[in-house]
Amino acid sequence: MSMKIKAKIKKDVTEVKLLLSSPMVGKEEAELKKVEVSYITHVTAKVGTKVVWEASTGPFLSKDPYFMFNFKGAKVGDEIVIETIDNKGETESDKVVIK
Amino acid sequence: MKRRKFLSLGAVAAAATVIPAGLSATDFRATAPKAWDAPTSKEAIESMFGSVAMVDGQIEIKAPKLAENGGAVPIGIKSKLDLEVIALFQDANPRSAVVVFELGEGGVVDLQTKIKMRKTANVTIVAKGRDGKLYSAVQKVEVSIGGCGG
Repeated sequence: MSMKIKAKIKKDVTEVKLLLSSPMVGKEEAELKKVEVSYITHVTAKVGTKVVWEASTGPFLSKDPYFMFNFKGAKVGDEIVIETIDNKGETESDKVVIK
Repeated sequence: MKRRKFLSLGAVAAAATVIPAGLSATDFRATAPKAWDAPTSKEAIESMFGSVAMVDGQIEIKAPKLAENGGAVPIGIKSKLDLEVIALFQDANPRSAVVVFELGEGGVVDLQTKIKMRKTANVTIVAKGRDGKLYSAVQKVEVSIGGCGG
């Protein structure tokens, strides 16, 4: 399990590209493939204490979900922290400095 | 208006004790659990947002005319509106709700993600503005090869 984060400022807008690692298997796919239900249920992006973006997610996102989002208010050198939680309650966190 | 809902559902009960992120965030899986099980977009949208009037045409959905890989169909969402909640639904899988985004103050409505679609169907976006109004957009996406499973 790992994630990839890229965060870059263009003018005053920070663009974040995020690639998570999860099979994103829901109950129907699990039955079909005889595998375990396993998918990320929530993703949060924070700069400092401020939540800038978040997503409540389900198994109909693609495997290893990809997200791109944009926000204003951050500056070069700020740190963006991504936190995820899956259907089993397992959490993951990573961060990157905004370029 | 953010409600802190502590998770009480069996499947996610264990999560409640270890989710620092959840405390400052709205978890749409917890606040609208029924919406995630609804088979059609109509039902999912009604249970997440209620049956209310929506403004059409101010959100742009960017999707391929013909998606070649139904396992990862790129969907882009753009708007000049000041939106705080943006939900994505489709009618190509057993259940409709895919993802609900929430933007903080300063959020720019320029989002992308990739979704599974195992057949040609409509993709629907429903969004809530900071003005309290609901906005929607629908686009048909043709899929040539179905998504794996789902």
